[in-house]
Amino acid sequence: MSPFNNFDRRDRVRLVFSGLAMFSLVVLGLVIATPAFSYLPLFTRANGTGHADHWDFNAFPVTFRINPETKDNIRGSISAPDAVTASFAAWVAAPNAALVVNRGPDTTLTSEGFDGNNLICFVCTADFADDSDTIAVTVTTVSDRPGEDTKHGTTSLFAGQILDADILFNPSVDFTTGGTGGESFQTIAVHEVGHFFGLDHSGIVRALMFPFAPDLQTTLSYDDVAGISSLYPKNPADVPTGTIAGTIRSTSGGPIFGAHVFADSTSTALPYGLGVRKSAISAVTRPDGTYSIQGVPIDTYTVTAEPLDEPVSNRNIEGYASAFGKGSVQTDFKTRWH
Amino acid sequence: MRYLLHLRRLATCLLFLTPLLATATTVIPASVEKITAKSTDVVHARAIDSQSRWNPERTRIYTYTRFEVRRTLKGTAPNVITVKQMGGSAGGYTQRVSGVQYWQPGEEAVLFLRPSSDRDGTLSITGVMQGSFRLKRQPSGQVMVTNGVPYVSAFDAQTGSTASYRGSRMTLQQLEDRVRKAVQ
Repeated sequence: MSPFNNFDRRDRVRLVFSGLAMFSLVVLGLVIATPAFSYLPLFTRANGTGHADHWDFNAFPVTFRINPETKDNIRGSISAPDAVTASFAAWVAAPNAALVVNRGPDTTLTSEGFDGNNLICFVCTADFADDSDTIAVTVTTVSDRPGEDTKHGTTSLFAGQILDADILFNPSVDFTTGGTGGESFQTIAVHEVGHFFGLDHSGIVRALMFPFAPDLQTTLSYDDVAGISSLYPKNPADVPTGTIAGTIRSTSGGPIFGAHVFADSTSTALPYGLGVRKSAISAVTRPDGTYSIQGVPIDTYTVTAEPLDEPVSNRNIEGYASAFGKGSVQTDFKTRWH
Repeated sequence: MRYLLHLRRLATCLLFLTPLLATATTVIPASVEKITAKSTDVVHARAIDSQSRWNPERTRIYTYTRFEVRRTLKGTAPNVITVKQMGGSAGGYTQRVSGVQYWQPGEEAVLFLRPSSDRDGTLSITGVMQGSFRLKRQPSGQVMVTNGVPYVSAFDAQTGSTASYRGSRMTLQQLEDRVRKAVQ
């Protein structure tokens, strides 16, 4: 089936990549559902291709444990542990996503590692602690193949299965949980929790997973919902969605790898209500130039492709290219409308 | 990982945000001068090889990349240095730190370095990402460097002005000049 079979082609826009034509389409309603990647999960390379990292909530209970110790670098109206718990809750509440994660007993651990504990700590001993320019870091341990020890008395089930994830906040950075000056703690926390669940950075500016921090942003965007619900789909879904898929090629016919393709609503509809910030929803093309933007609510969209040439660039999603055996995404093209 | 690059006064700035990444962003990046001051060594180097392995406790994977030092801008680095980074793949597992970048053999970069916290003779990149400026040779022959911090502009609602930040993209010569000046 052609990926464009169900597209409405009435408002076709032509893009040119370095003089090479590509297509942008306006899509109406539900489109095809193909098993592929939406948004941008982290990837593990196995058997010659990339596998989206994610937890298997049936394999073992996924709990996070907080070391509640804080220094005076975190101030504000709520405690850091409560802000972290709220950040997990924001993702768990995402429409169309089925996340099963719980807060476990507090811990005194201070450093990350593959130890069966999913640590959240605020006074951490990681190597970045002297760098006040790095706010927080999430370290995930995934299995490269089935059959590896999970540290939970079982073995891993697939390549890309997340087995451990730790979030470490930089004790050299001044944070606020509300009402005081400093970095917005929960803005950072909710972003790192996205990594905890296996999401990579997004090229959508309004997404929580955009790699550069705003002052305050703690609610999920449509792009975030598409990402998390693609990794952990809820059945039945809360809100009906579909998939926009296609192929990005140059006029010479060659596929474009790593093009940032995003669907932007042209209406004022709010299919997720007021609890989710409306944003474009994106994906990145694979080596054969195909893309698949999953988790797209019923609406009217303009689909556009562009190079990831800043502010988000290959350096922000470097694992994506390597997961497909590439050194970098392609950026040697330009986007232009006619 | 998230970097200290802010969208200031978001409510106002959102007027300028589009999915095309034409951002209204105020950047507070670590400047070249700041990174230089925080680094014990600054070198122009070429990656030789790279390997990842578990620590003795088998809790962390580190990636060790050997570099041939081509030019020293600060410090007294030996001809060959080893840069240690969190993450990598070893023994059936991958440990991933979003935002950490690794180098391919032959890749050149200007590296801002400090001793690793384990004091094991290896060096770490200052600022995780911001202290690694990769070289890219342009068709014109000019050599550009960038550490991935983007070029952005910012609208300041209080002053009504728009400020532009050149990010970290510059010529190799410009970077070296800034480092040398900062060292003096």
